Amino acid sequence: MTDALVLKDVRKSYGNREAVHGISLDVKEGEIFGLLGHNGAGKTTTLRMISTLLRITSGSISVYGHDVTTEPEKVREVISYLPEDAGAYKDLTGRAYLEFISKFYTTGEAQKEMVRRGIEIADLGDRIDSKVDTYSKGMMRRLLIARAIMPSPRLAIMDEVTSGLDVINAYEIREIIRTIARNGVTVIMSSHNMFEVEMLCDRVGMMDQGNLILLGTPDELKEKFGAKNLEEVFVKAVMKE
Amino acid sequence: MTHLTNIVKKELRELLTPGSVVSVLLMVLLFAFLGGIVGGEVDKVKTLSPMAVVDDANGEVDFPDGTHWSLYDNMASMYGNIPEGKTIDDYLFRLSSVTLPDGSIDRKDLASKMAEKGVTSAILVPDDFSERLAKKRQAHLEEFYLYEAEGMFGSAPSITASSMVGSLNTLLSGFLVGGVVGADAAFYLQPIRLNESGSAYIGTMVNGSFVRGVTPMEISSQVSSQTMMVPLVIMIIIMMVGSIVISSMGSEKENKTLETLLTLPIRRTVIVTGKIVAAAIVGLVYGLAYMVGMSFYMNALTKEIVSGVNLDDVGLGLDLADYALLMTSMFLAIVCALGICMIMGAFAKNYKSAQTMTMPLSILSMIPAFVIMFSGWYGASGLMQGILFAIPFSHPMIAMQALMYNDYVLVLSGIAYMAVFAAVAIAVTVRLYNSDILITGLGQTSMSSKLFGNRRKSGESR
Repeated sequence: MTDALVLKDVRKSYGNREAVHGISLDVKEGEIFGLLGHNGAGKTTTLRMISTLLRITSGSISVYGHDVTTEPEKVREVISYLPEDAGAYKDLTGRAYLEFISKFYTTGEAQKEMVRRGIEIADLGDRIDSKVDTYSKGMMRRLLIARAIMPSPRLAIMDEVTSGLDVINAYEIREIIRTIARNGVTVIMSSHNMFEVEMLCDRVGMMDQGNLILLGTPDELKEKFGAKNLEEVFVKAVMKE
Repeated sequence: MTHLTNIVKKELRELLTPGSVVSVLLMVLLFAFLGGIVGGEVDKVKTLSPMAVVDDANGEVDFPDGTHWSLYDNMASMYGNIPEGKTIDDYLFRLSSVTLPDGSIDRKDLASKMAEKGVTSAILVPDDFSERLAKKRQAHLEEFYLYEAEGMFGSAPSITASSMVGSLNTLLSGFLVGGVVGADAAFYLQPIRLNESGSAYIGTMVNGSFVRGVTPMEISSQVSSQTMMVPLVIMIIIMMVGSIVISSMGSEKENKTLETLLTLPIRRTVIVTGKIVAAAIVGLVYGLAYMVGMSFYMNALTKEIVSGVNLDDVGLGLDLADYALLMTSMFLAIVCALGICMIMGAFAKNYKSAQTMTMPLSILSMIPAFVIMFSGWYGASGLMQGILFAIPFSHPMIAMQALMYNDYVLVLSGIAYMAVFAAVAIAVTVRLYNSDILITGLGQTSMSSKLFGNRRKSGESR
């Protein structure tokens, strides 16, 4: 299986403070990879480095063979990043927002087809033509997921993708993620929600204070710690640290 | 469609919201409305002012040589051409006064009579007026006014009455001198003729050319009337576009739309350029709107008040090339402002913090606006000229006057300076867009770490 993403001894410092302490991991093509950890563990910083938003201090990150430091524009052509609590331009309608984004990827009929696909993924009915600032949190998240997925990225990077959503919306979004992964899109996502990650992810990495403390499939990790679920694994792993 | 056009269109759609367009249109209408009010005040001054004379038949003077001089007739003669359908009785009211027991005039009674006639100034002729003049002794005329809370030209009635007394003096002098020396009265009263505007006996060197019939003051007031609004308009544009861009940046950060934008497959220079171009277009559109509004106001204020000197006639007019230079200067000043704003906006954490960041820009645009309005570039000291030159927004404020005086060196060097300034500002902005600071803000960089130390313990991460 091809490596979609490879991190080698990646470190990130803000001044004298090191936020990520040399993590290494790889994500295979078509895999759903979950980054777990509490607030401040370094998940968002790691995802932002993969997305070319933050520069790495040392080490290397490669996305489908493209180095984030030397080929950031090539990396941005194959990724799609969905930040936590992201919003869209409030004065645009959902459709206009998708059209705006699609024009950076393609033109002509292909661009129209991309928007049609986005509208289908968002599944907002008539509300796709309402202004974004009238959307509920769930509607906004659906629109943003549609935005992230409609260009058919090779790697989708999603930060706390279901954070703050109700049960139904969170379930539907998880279904969307499963579907795109079945269609060959690699997903790396962060979450506080251990159960969500256990249900959705093929493999997980657990972060604590900027360190990657565990890496493996949910079953491997549960077996290793003799735990019933990932939450128990996480607690035991952190206590051990 | 190119990525740049896509960004520009999106930015324009965000910046030109119905609310912002309506507020600018309202501003134009407000200026036009104010212009209407000011114009009305100016018209009031221009129209013949009615006034009253309380002479009780004492303004008739019989001189010992048998000649007769009438105060009322001479006052009436000064009204000149009475508009059709009106008579002198509509402008010059003869009022009688009531004398109080102490011999003085009952001014309350007089005031109510004046108010009834709608006049606010009157000339009162004392009892001894005719007698003193007949004996060739100086007499008095009393000016009496009703003060009313009026507009900006509320003092006009007092000017009219005072000038009326002055003119009466001249007429009476002419009458008296004429009685002594006959037809040469005009010569004796004014042996050297005073030159009026347009006279062949006045001349000024302007831009190396001799122009007859105008004084430096007339030229200066005309130049001021033409150039006065430029610094104000530019100051407003700079503050407005600055606020727009910084707020837009703050809003993008707050909504995390910037993070999305920065991970799209486009170059950062395209994002920066797109934002700057869109804001510059909005700035120019708003600037034009303000210019139109201001011109309504200024035209109303300055019509008939400033001298009627045609600047083209004195070689100070601007041609198309001059206007092109002026527009270039304005555009570059806007781009410089936007460059500064993009840099400051990069440090904004959210919409609210972005709002406070417009202050330095406002100060930088206010300094040249007020210095240039009150002392002008050519009246400023060497140090102040250095400061003005260093502030890029000064150049379009200076440019109009400099172009009138053919000071192309100043205008072109200003344009060159702004071009370099804008290029540096954009380069710094692109560099910031490629750095972490756009995402992390201040407080997370190595520089801030050195300056402020580590507030969070080492090893703690996000």
